[in-house]
Amino acid sequence: MKIGVFICHCGENISRTVDCPRVAETCEKIPGVEFSIDYKYMCSDPGQKLIKDAVEIHKLDAIVVGSCSPNMHERTFRSAAVAAGINPFLVEIANLREHCSWVHEDVESATQKAIELVRMAVEKVKRDKPLSKIKVPVTKRVLVIGGGIAGIQAALDVANAGYDVVLVEKEPSIGGHMSQLSETFPTLDCSQCILTPRMVEVNQHPRIKLLTYSEVEKIEGFIGNFKATIRKKARHINEDICSGCGQCVSKCPIKKKAFSSFEEGLAYRPAVYIPFPQAVPNIPVIDESVCTYYRNGKCGMCVKACDRQAIDFDQKDTMMVADVGAVIVATGYKLYSIGKQPLGSKYKGYGEYGYGKYKDVIDGLQFERIASASGPTSGEIKRPSDGKEPKKIVFIQCVGSRDPAKGISYCSKICCMYTAKQAMLFRHKVHDGEAYVFYMDIRAGGKMYEEFVRRAIEEDHVNYIRGRVSRIYEENGKYIVKGEDTIAGVPVNIDADMVVLASAMIPHDNAPGLAQKVGIPYDKYGFYNESHPKLKPVESTTAGVFLAGACNAPRDIPESVAMASAAASKAIILFSSDSLEREPVVARVNEDLCAGCFYCRKVCPFGAVEVRDIKDMNGVVYKEVAYINQGVCQGCGTCTATCLSKSIELAGFNNEEIFAEIAAL
Amino acid sequence: MDELRRFARELLLKKEVAAVIGYEQVGEARTRPVVITDPDECRRLVLNEYCLNNLVVYLNRARIKALARSKEGIRKLAVVAKPCDIRSIVALIQENQIRRENLMILSMNCHGVVRDFGCEFNGDNLAAKCISCNTQSSTYADKSFGEVREIPKFTGKLEYDLSEIEQLPPSKRMEFFREQFDKCIKCYACRAVCPLCYCQRCITDKTIPRWIESSSHSRGNFAWNIVRALHLSGRCTGCGECERACPMDIPLSLLNRKMAMKSKELFGYESGKSTDNPTLVGSYDQKDSDELFM
Ligand SMILES: Cc1cc2nc3c(=O)[nH]c(=O)nc-3n(C[C@H](O)[C@H](O)[C@H](O)COP(=O)(O)OP(=O)(O)OC[C@H]3O[C@@H](n4cnc5c(N)ncnc54)[C@H](O)[C@@H]3O)c2cc1C
Ligand code: SF4
Repeated sequence: MKIGVFICHCGENISRTVDCPRVAETCEKIPGVEFSIDYKYMCSDPGQKLIKDAVEIHKLDAIVVGSCSPNMHERTFRSAAVAAGINPFLVEIANLREHCSWVHEDVESATQKAIELVRMAVEKVKRDKPLSKIKVPVTKRVLVIGGGIAGIQAALDVANAGYDVVLVEKEPSIGGHMSQLSETFPTLDCSQCILTPRMVEVNQHPRIKLLTYSEVEKIEGFIGNFKATIRKKARHINEDICSGCGQCVSKCPIKKKAFSSFEEGLAYRPAVYIPFPQAVPNIPVIDESVCTYYRNGKCGMCVKACDRQAIDFDQKDTMMVADVGAVIVATGYKLYSIGKQPLGSKYKGYGEYGYGKYKDVIDGLQFERIASASGPTSGEIKRPSDGKEPKKIVFIQCVGSRDPAKGISYCSKICCMYTAKQAMLFRHKVHDGEAYVFYMDIRAGGKMYEEFVRRAIEEDHVNYIRGRVSRIYEENGKYIVKGEDTIAGVPVNIDADMVVLASAMIPHDNAPGLAQKVGIPYDKYGFYNESHPKLKPVESTTAGVFLAGACNAPRDIPESVAMASAAASKAIILFSSDSLEREPVVARVNEDLCAGCFYCRKVCPFGAVEVRDIKDMNGVVYKEVAYINQGVCQGCGTCTATCLSKSIELAGFNNEEIFAEIAAL
Repeated sequence: MDELRRFARELLLKKEVAAVIGYEQVGEARTRPVVITDPDECRRLVLNEYCLNNLVVYLNRARIKALARSKEGIRKLAVVAKPCDIRSIVALIQENQIRRENLMILSMNCHGVVRDFGCEFNGDNLAAKCISCNTQSSTYADKSFGEVREIPKFTGKLEYDLSEIEQLPPSKRMEFFREQFDKCIKCYACRAVCPLCYCQRCITDKTIPRWIESSSHSRGNFAWNIVRALHLSGRCTGCGECERACPMDIPLSLLNRKMAMKSKELFGYESGKSTDNPTLVGSYDQKDSDELFM
């Protein structure tokens, strides 16, 4: 075998601490090395040409490149090898940058180490076997988790491209937070009006299978071939025959036992309910925790009311499995619950603002409901405590956000905008009302956003006060907001009728739980991590799993929609060919030697190990051995390390190759 | 004893089992393993304090497995096993080596065995593993024979005391084990008697690459014995057969016992306790101790 060694200077990154010409010279003397050379940028076009020419002139069979991490340029050099007619797996990279020049200072010893690293790679490449890529089929179906605006958009885009979609939403209806909003910045168009047509489209789309009131239990498999297990929670209504007439809802005698979460606790809902009139699907759910039937087996008013016999108290959760090729996670956010943090929460809460104690201190979503035409007050601005019209409202921004002392250091990004919107809406509805906004800075970066805030200030005369609020207390039926105007440098006290807290956007409590099921990483708050903050904003680090909307970071609607379409297009790109090419670095079992203890099966994180029966000539099974599904195996090598009798080899990293490397040291 | 013979004979006569693996007497204070397929031969079977071998090792031998296999499928094998030997069966079931439904476990109500053939059964000569044994019968047995008697109190002296060795400083401990392992002649008797050493080809026998120096050179000896201890950690059920088989009298079970203690201490795991337990290697809990990481 004739081996070529190519030592890269990486500009000065390597050559600063490693004497590259000396490495090249010394390595030429290693038995088997036919040709050795150093060059300033091996990854550049001329560098690659140098490799190709050397292969041709010196009739090389394999190459070793001493360069940066294989993570960076292994692919480049493998392609160069292919172009020169060498199998890409007869290329070894000795990492002279991350493993050597960057971590050492002394030129002499770094150069010695570089030589050793190349020597190891040479010994390995001598034993490398040519490998060819594995083709795995792609299931052209997408699982979308979360049916907010992001999930809806992603589902529609994928479906309109002609692929099947399974959309899983944990609530009884899709729509997410957008369905709760009154009007939307920066155009003040009605949220429901622009959202509901899309919800309906989802429901009617022949390519979308909508599973509401459902949750993902687990996801197995890998890009192109995921298997998702979904739990469809019992609605206690037979969805196939329910017409959504709502008779059951109006007859249910439980009127004041459960708060409507859609109305953010500002209204009650019956035990059998449809979350909101435009819900999709328009099918009710029975809440077992308050329903009389589940308490004492009596009542059944709804059964009598339903002329289609759609009520099914005995209905159980059902499980179903969906084979999908890609997953789009769009599970959105929730609001930091001010003042009443659950025990053990990492957040501190804002007890000093009296949320939960004073009925008229509310959060942003509650205000959206009050301002919404379909809300509990039919869009009239009324205080929750006594239903009176408030004349003076104080809005406080950055509640929770940008406050490391309370547990969150990031900016929630949308609250500046929705506060301006809400103050404006209040001024539009209550002409003699006064609106005050306490802010830290106004962050209105976005098309027409700054103009929108200016409009609130200049046209709608919203009073913006730069400063924080230290305390809110009740006095003579007023809420005294004690704050500071940091521009004027004076304390301000405002006697408000109502206070709206723009609380931070945070991930759902179960966000880490879902991440573990899907197999994607998340940050310290629970937001799902993108693969690269600039270049791969909608990809998770798990191949085939994409992110959309506020589950990744605070996002407004336009951003959520843009991300959703981007994620959808990523999935569609994936489906553009019928099979995926996979690196052939997979494990293989020597069936003669395998004793069938199946420790490998227990440790494989991807579920790639199957059981294969070995039969005697009578067809009687006399041995069970492990078999590794080449499509599922990710080449992590866990099984190889676990196998006691070393009966599993990882192609490209087999024991002989690794031993040779160690022995060369 | 008669009951066992009758029972085993019935099993063979009714063709419920393909063979019975048991003990037969050879001389006064010695038994040896016997595999019986002829019902009349069952009179050779014995059960006493000299039944030292762990017969479970035979269940995984290809020749014996072949006895159970016929054109019609797999038949059962009956094995005579002391309650402590049954722990090896449990471990083998956990590791997919045998199936409970293919097995008839004939056990005894055990009151201890001698430390070696030829000596009289009394407190002085009690086998080390019986000293603190508290499983005189096993729930996994299909049938247990013999009357329940107390295990005699140990009155002898152990040659090596694990707790004493643990107290030694590392260099002294190293010296102790080096001396011991230097005696090894690589006969692999320890491997041959171990019911859990069932690999089709042991790592020591592999040549491409060669993991362990195979000549009985100190370096290879050390490697072999450490590999043996590590491959058995979380798995060894403490039957002590390795130590009994070793012709060079190396106290092989010291390391095995230490690893078993560690498994219990760190992970609450005891090998061979229940077929329902996930094996120690291959199961993971977020609360697992990471003390073993270096
Ligand atoms: C008070 C307020 C006012 C706002 N006003 C505006 C505005 O005027 N203009 C604007 O552009 N933006 C506004 N926003 C922001 C807007 O709400 C978000 O940008 C948008 O809702 C994000 O959409 P999403 O689909 O990512 O998340 P969400 O709307 O939160 O939807 C996520 C969906 O996923 C579901 N889900 C969660 N977990 C799971 C799970 N494990 N399995 C299945 N389903 C799950 C949820 O039930 C939900 O239906 C406002 C936000 C607030 C708080
Ligand atoms: S968007 Fe505005 S209000 Fe919200 S956290 Fe950021 S700066 Fe504060």
